[in-house]
Amino acid sequence: MTGFWTQAFTITRRDLLRERRSGEVLWVTLPFGAIALLLVPLAIGTDTRTLEAIGLGMFWVIVMLFGVLIAVRQTNTETQAQRDQVALAGIDPAAAYVGRSLASFLLLVVFETVLVFVTIVLYDIPLVGFEWMPLVILLVAAGLSLLGTLAAGIVSTGRSAAALVPLLVAPLSVPLLIGATQTFESLRYGRSSLAWILMMTIVTLLLGVAGVLSARTLQETG
Amino acid sequence: MTSPEQSELSPSSVWPWVVMAVAGLVTFVAAMSVSPDAVQGQLSRIMYVHVPAAWLAYLAFGITMFGSAMYLWKKSLKWDRLAHSSAEIGVFFTGLAIALGMTWAKPTWGVWWTWDARLTLTAIMFFVYLGYLALRRTTDNLEVRAKRASILGVVAIIQVPLVHFSVVWWRSLHQAPTIIRPEGPDMDTSMVVTLLIAVASFTVMYVAMMIKRMELAHLEDEITIEEQSHQGPAAGDAVVAPDLAGGV
Repeated sequence: MTGFWTQAFTITRRDLLRERRSGEVLWVTLPFGAIALLLVPLAIGTDTRTLEAIGLGMFWVIVMLFGVLIAVRQTNTETQAQRDQVALAGIDPAAAYVGRSLASFLLLVVFETVLVFVTIVLYDIPLVGFEWMPLVILLVAAGLSLLGTLAAGIVSTGRSAAALVPLLVAPLSVPLLIGATQTFESLRYGRSSLAWILMMTIVTLLLGVAGVLSARTLQETG
Repeated sequence: MTSPEQSELSPSSVWPWVVMAVAGLVTFVAAMSVSPDAVQGQLSRIMYVHVPAAWLAYLAFGITMFGSAMYLWKKSLKWDRLAHSSAEIGVFFTGLAIALGMTWAKPTWGVWWTWDARLTLTAIMFFVYLGYLALRRTTDNLEVRAKRASILGVVAIIQVPLVHFSVVWWRSLHQAPTIIRPEGPDMDTSMVVTLLIAVASFTVMYVAMMIKRMELAHLEDEITIEEQSHQGPAAGDAVVAPDLAGGV
């Protein structure tokens, strides 16, 4: 069998091809996220100062809630037979985990990048500290994709799996949500945001290590 | 293998209940004996249950992580039962801490709930471990259930330091650390002693509850194994081999 990264990239390519055919993320989840951003002002009123103040927070909440759907989509799209085939093909479970996470990561980066522009346009948010935005987007996408893939692996074939995964991922993604929002909150008040960036990095690394170490155990559970 | 009847008659089935009752009584007497707080009055007595309940939640989730890690290492179901039992007790005490905190908050802050970092993160921790318990119900296969739950049991511990340090990291309405701090306790000695008695009593209560819950978990596992070993009639069971020898 080929090397670890070749296997991982094969899985990533498979997932991205599947996404290109189905368009689930880019043509369903992404517009759904944009609609959610449009609905908020209808619910809370159109006071521009209020919207300006809450815009960035709303963006991160929508990234977390809708990002979960992207990160755990394989619970719906991947059947037991497909998982068995990956196992029988001799693909390293850790490589499969990394490959799936990488595909989710790329989709999440696109999702966040599009939505951040939608948020800027709709909410007219102040762009203080936005030079950090690419890094925060990458960290959130990495953390969420690793967490979602891990949770999808944990629940994969159980009863009510599709309903349970968001329940597991949404609360566990809180460190990422806090890190992302507090980074810009700190910058707005002229403080350093390095502690929050560091927290997100550590959480992401821990999730990556947990996912790689548990991949074989999870594959055994079918 | 211990049958349910035997387990009911074993000595451990009685003394944990006695220990729980005594620990509860000690906490009650200690909390009612100490003088009320000069500012908060009688309301401050809630603290003698609220703080130990929060401490037990941390302890219980720490033990869940330990049991989960040990299961992943040793692959023995007793570690999974330890993790499961502890998570269930931890969820109960997290709920109790939240409920008591809300009861205290209404007359003090004027609201049942406020968007304070400690409160919100504690509620999220509660949901994470509810998710852990929900995950355990998704399959009847003991090994599969244990493996999946153990991984979540290890990952979920990330919530505990987040909850604990939230009062340091954010400007919180919730009280900052009062007992364990570099300058020493910021509280009257009688109140500190009462609080420590309550914490110790709750810890003993936790051990007694764990013994009972693990006994129950063991019985549950035995019943599951028993049920799974009784296979129903399979198609073709009624078909017997023909007697080709033509014997009488």
